[in-house]
Amino acid sequence: MLKNITLGQYFPGDSLIHRLDPRTKLLATIALIAIVFVSKGFCGFLLIAAFILACAASTGIHLKFLIKGLKPIFFIIVFTFVLNLFFQTGGEELVHIWIIRITDEGLRMASFMAVRLILLVVSSQLLTLTTSPISLTDGLETLFRPLQVIHFPAHEIAMMMSIALRFIPTLMDEADKIMKAQKARGANFETGSVVARAKAMVPLLVPLFVGAFRRAEELALAMDARCYRGGAGRTRMKQLKYQTIDLLAALAIAALLAAVILLNRFGPF
Amino acid sequence: MPVEIKKLTHVYMPGTPFEARALNEVSLNIRDGEFIGIIGHTGSGKSTLISHFNGLERSQPGVVFVNGVDLGEKDTDMIAVRRVVGLVFQYPEYQLFEETVAKDIAFGPRNLGLDEAEIERRVARAIELVGLDASAAEKSPFELSGGQKRRVAIAGVLAMQPSILVLDEPAAGLDPAGRRDMLELVKSIHASGVTVVMVSHSMDDVGRLCDRLYVLNKGEIAFSGTPAEVFVHDQRLHEIGLDVPECAKLARKLREAGYDMPEGIYRMEDVRDAILRNLNGGK
Repeated sequence: MLKNITLGQYFPGDSLIHRLDPRTKLLATIALIAIVFVSKGFCGFLLIAAFILACAASTGIHLKFLIKGLKPIFFIIVFTFVLNLFFQTGGEELVHIWIIRITDEGLRMASFMAVRLILLVVSSQLLTLTTSPISLTDGLETLFRPLQVIHFPAHEIAMMMSIALRFIPTLMDEADKIMKAQKARGANFETGSVVARAKAMVPLLVPLFVGAFRRAEELALAMDARCYRGGAGRTRMKQLKYQTIDLLAALAIAALLAAVILLNRFGPF
Repeated sequence: MPVEIKKLTHVYMPGTPFEARALNEVSLNIRDGEFIGIIGHTGSGKSTLISHFNGLERSQPGVVFVNGVDLGEKDTDMIAVRRVVGLVFQYPEYQLFEETVAKDIAFGPRNLGLDEAEIERRVARAIELVGLDASAAEKSPFELSGGQKRRVAIAGVLAMQPSILVLDEPAAGLDPAGRRDMLELVKSIHASGVTVVMVSHSMDDVGRLCDRLYVLNKGEIAFSGTPAEVFVHDQRLHEIGLDVPECAKLARKLREAGYDMPEGIYRMEDVRDAILRNLNGGK
């Protein structure tokens, strides 16, 4: 059950997008998110969706992984949709039952918000599915480095992030093991009331926390033993370098932005 | 037949680049009162295999049976199965969570829905069985030493009074004295009438304790049979990263040097006797 979480899971591959510099991918994702917000109509969304799907197709990642990643936020999408549907009052009335009124404006707004949410999640997923956590934090550290002038701890934050990311699979594995061990002792995690299920988590969470602290201590010791003393003066084996494909990616994003702005103005819907 | 497995295949994360075939058409039978050893290299599928013994990993119907109950069927009562098959995982001390040792041991029996008096009786008996001091019952499990913690964890499974006990590397990571004590404990549990399945990669341990062995290699059963039958294949065992007991190695070397050593001996006493026979000129 714990193995089904794909949000933030790296999917190894060797496509163009996989080979992009992590900084390019980070900036492109931020730009893509901005473009999703820039778009004012479904025309723009259609284009963005086509762009994302083309990118996804080129990476060789099966579409079902992108869809699977939407599962955790499925509830939020439905919630936003329903909220917008019922509480948007402008426009022509379509349905009116008792106090429930659905207008064409509401329907439009609701689908608009839902599509926007889906596009946001899918575009950021494309980043985490195609970038290994290590290169992601490397990219972040390099991007944040200029902020060190104002004492922003870029290296420390990147280090914390990579440690956190590094330990997610370890902790999930451990959670899986503990869960199995407690299930073997007759524990029940799946059925029962909300309170019963929350209580059932105690035998899982206590050993998990104890283990996390033990690991943290061991890791700190191991880092200390290898003379870790922060980012100052640290060199790296893999230097990040922009290449031609990074320029192409930037151009593609710029073209998309221009197209979406044009569609906002001249698009039919 | 307490445990019967017919052609069990298990694939992790099918349809992804992480797809891994952990087990491939594994069949085995465990009879009442036996002491079975499962041996294999790291990643040979041992842990996946034993997870099927009490339905933690599910398979298709008609594959895994415990006391005749098909664990693949959807409506099988899993709590009932777990009452019969006790599973002690590797490094079980990391699963302790309660405030006191007694409460932690009581976790299993309580999940079985037993009444308080029975739970208390079982906890006391389990503490005694694993050789812990009765005063340990009110201590926090986190105060105990590594070996003691492991005993508490085993007691937690024994308190469910399973008729089949499966232990995954019970002696892993213990010092030589702790190792010896742990194996003695497993032996005494078996002597009390429990069917025991022990996963290990120490040939010396399984050779000394087990009635029958299953050797797993890359998710398949490479050899099975009595220790003597298995240890005959020492060359092949070596190829798959396993070994035979030291005494069996000695016997083989002596046989190759021309001495009269019977095939398939591996117990220290048997090898000793064979050497003595040779020294006394076959008398």
